[in-house]
Amino acid sequence: MDFELSEDQSTIRKSVAELAARFDDQYWMEKDERHEFPSEFYEAVASAGWLGLTTPEEYGGHGYGITEASLLLEEVSASGGGMNAASAIHLSIFGMHPVIVHGSDQMKKENLPRIVAGDLHVCFGVTEPGAGLDTTRITTFAKRDGSDYVVNGRKVWISKAQESEKILLLTRTAKFEDSPKKTAGLTLFFTDLNRDAVDIRPIRKMGRNAISSNELFIDDLRIPEEDRVGEEGQGFKYILDGLNPERMLIAAEALGLGRAALRRAVRYGNEREVFGRPIGMNQGLQFPLADSLAHLDAAELSLRKATWLYDQGLPCAREANTAKYLCADAGFTAADRALQTHGGMGYAEEYHVARYFREARLLRIAPISQEMVLNFLGEHVLGMPRSY
Amino acid sequence: MQWTLSEEQVAYQEALRGWLGATAPSAVLRSWLDAGDVETFQRSFAAAGWSGVGIPEELAGQGGGLVELALTCEELGRSAAPSAGWLATVLAVPALSGRKDLLAAALAGPGVALLLPAEQVPATARPLPLSSDGTLSGEIPRVLAGGSAARFVVPAVAPDGVLQLRLVDAGAQQVHLSARTLLDRSRSVTDVRLAAAPSEPLDVDASAVLAEASDRAALLVAADALGASERMLELAVEYSKQRHQFGVPIGSFQAVKHAAASMLVGIEAARSVTYYAAASVDAQGADSSMHAAATKAQVTADAARAADTALTMHGAIGYTWEHDLHLFYKRVKLDERLAGSPAAWNERLADALQLV
Ligand SMILES: Cc1cc2nc3c(=O)[nH]c(=O)nc-3n(C[C@H](O)[C@H](O)[C@H](O)COP(=O)(O)OP(=O)(O)OC[C@H]3O[C@@H](n4cnc5c(N)ncnc54)[C@H](O)[C@@H]3O)c2cc1C
Repeated sequence: MDFELSEDQSTIRKSVAELAARFDDQYWMEKDERHEFPSEFYEAVASAGWLGLTTPEEYGGHGYGITEASLLLEEVSASGGGMNAASAIHLSIFGMHPVIVHGSDQMKKENLPRIVAGDLHVCFGVTEPGAGLDTTRITTFAKRDGSDYVVNGRKVWISKAQESEKILLLTRTAKFEDSPKKTAGLTLFFTDLNRDAVDIRPIRKMGRNAISSNELFIDDLRIPEEDRVGEEGQGFKYILDGLNPERMLIAAEALGLGRAALRRAVRYGNEREVFGRPIGMNQGLQFPLADSLAHLDAAELSLRKATWLYDQGLPCAREANTAKYLCADAGFTAADRALQTHGGMGYAEEYHVARYFREARLLRIAPISQEMVLNFLGEHVLGMPRSY
Repeated sequence: MQWTLSEEQVAYQEALRGWLGATAPSAVLRSWLDAGDVETFQRSFAAAGWSGVGIPEELAGQGGGLVELALTCEELGRSAAPSAGWLATVLAVPALSGRKDLLAAALAGPGVALLLPAEQVPATARPLPLSSDGTLSGEIPRVLAGGSAARFVVPAVAPDGVLQLRLVDAGAQQVHLSARTLLDRSRSVTDVRLAAAPSEPLDVDASAVLAEASDRAALLVAADALGASERMLELAVEYSKQRHQFGVPIGSFQAVKHAAASMLVGIEAARSVTYYAAASVDAQGADSSMHAAATKAQVTADAARAADTALTMHGAIGYTWEHDLHLFYKRVKLDERLAGSPAAWNERLADALQLV
């Protein structure tokens, strides 16, 4: 057993941290307040070549694994950029996985190099008003019309849709009622987010406000057959392939956020004096922070194990789910405590922990809720009856 | 709105606490527990006139209601007294409302016990089938104070499917008892097997009596846990001032202080909810069963947590039998389970809320 990062991994970690440090908390606060996409940051990451970290070399990437991707996103988040920074690049780093595995050569050749270069923004369209965690219940329908499909429906929460040229879109090509299995009849497309047929409206939300999340009203969106990923009716399976990596990356982002929050809390605890001594001298403050450190460290280990398994080609669902669960909780708890440590100032934007707190809360809900993780572990790992 | 105990209630509480302190101090209590003697206490408790407080005069008691009973339970919990026989009797009293002839004797002890598993919400206990000749057969495990009761009140169903309560003489030769050992030695349960035991009917509304017994059990067990928690907090605070480490009393460490303060918060909340619910159940308000359920679920779960906190504050000494803490620790851990776990009572609340 070896807990050491490889030389490459250490270098990645260090270089990303250096790059991310060029964008300070002030930058992120302003982007968040102005609801403005962090283009400068995005450009910097792209021009340093990081967007292609996991993309195969033949498409201009570096072909690294999920471990490296998780280190990258963790550092970006831990820099204080949090979820604004991570979500700006998240999909470019690993979101194209279904395309890489199941897309046509043509599709890959046309798109992947552009994603690596940073000039193609993409978003991921799964969730619908009537289908959250219960994905197979989506109703956005792609109807065959000659060699095209015509799509109608509604999506919700689609992050970065405003900035995106293309969307990875999950649809139904057979209705739920008409499908032999509930996971059948779903078809995935990677296609232009044509504004003539898709009305995009941002959702006002609690945090991570530099990255929009949007409602999509899709009205006769015409998609050529070439934009279909893999086979018709197999979309759910393609999405499933990407779920474990997704969980690990979210875990890494939550972990980074927890580290950022803890760093600020410790600094404030040491600096702020009340009753003639630093507030960090109180066990009531120091212990919760020490406890968060222990929880973040433990969560980190579970994440490292999960990404290692994935990169070895070994089963990792249990570990990926566990890592998501533990990192999201540890990250949120650290952010909550950092806020408390700051007292009234925690509530002020200028100390940044309020922003971390709002973002950390998201990770207990999306992309998969803590409850669904427990459902997975209970049913598939412990072998207990499905509860829903 | 005024939420205080009356002067008489306060005086009652002080008198009972004084009596328990004199009659059942730790050394005496331990000698009873070592000997497995539950009767000495029950007898002197009755002889001193405490056992009928909170029972209406027309039921051979001394008057008063659930608030007085809760006060009694709080004090019994606070001294970890072997009170199972008395509690079982109090829970069975409404079943005997038509049998005044038996009530006075029951309150004097040996008492009466509902024949159902101690860990169940009384209203959910499974009734025994009643034979056409009026006898009852079946085994009921873990009956509270089943070993010391003179009579059992048995939920039974007649062949016509109607729920009844029947009275069985515990001394009958068709009644077989086998005692169980509990970790909490201050209470006892016994497995009871009836082999065609003769029974006589009790002329009461069985469902109503069991529902009432459920509310009362919830409340009184919670009050017991409240008393035991108070005592654990006292012990923990006292110890934290006396025990020195790193040159200072451990109570000067903030984490220790905060642990004690959290216990106090729980206890104050428990007292508020317990006495409110006692008054509510006595008044038979519309939501009184919900109040009883919330009390049982909240107070006993919190007391079990408080026990762990108290143990932590004591360090290793709390882990020994030499120190009294373990008496109360075990007391509240049993209270958590007695008459239905917090989960069972929460389930009843959830049902009442008509969630899906
Ligand atoms: C800021 C943000 C960005 C997002 N970005 C995207 C995006 O880019 N693309 C995209 O497709 N989606 C996106 N989402 C959507 C996200 O994936 C969903 O919010 C998430 O999957 C949860 O679905 P839901 O909100 O519909 O919750 P629901 O499915 O309605 O669940 C509601 C609650 O019920 C619980 N619950 C549901 N089922 C069960 C069960 N069986 N057992 C126990 N508890 C259960 C859940 O845990 C949750 O607490 C985003 C969401 C947010 C908030």
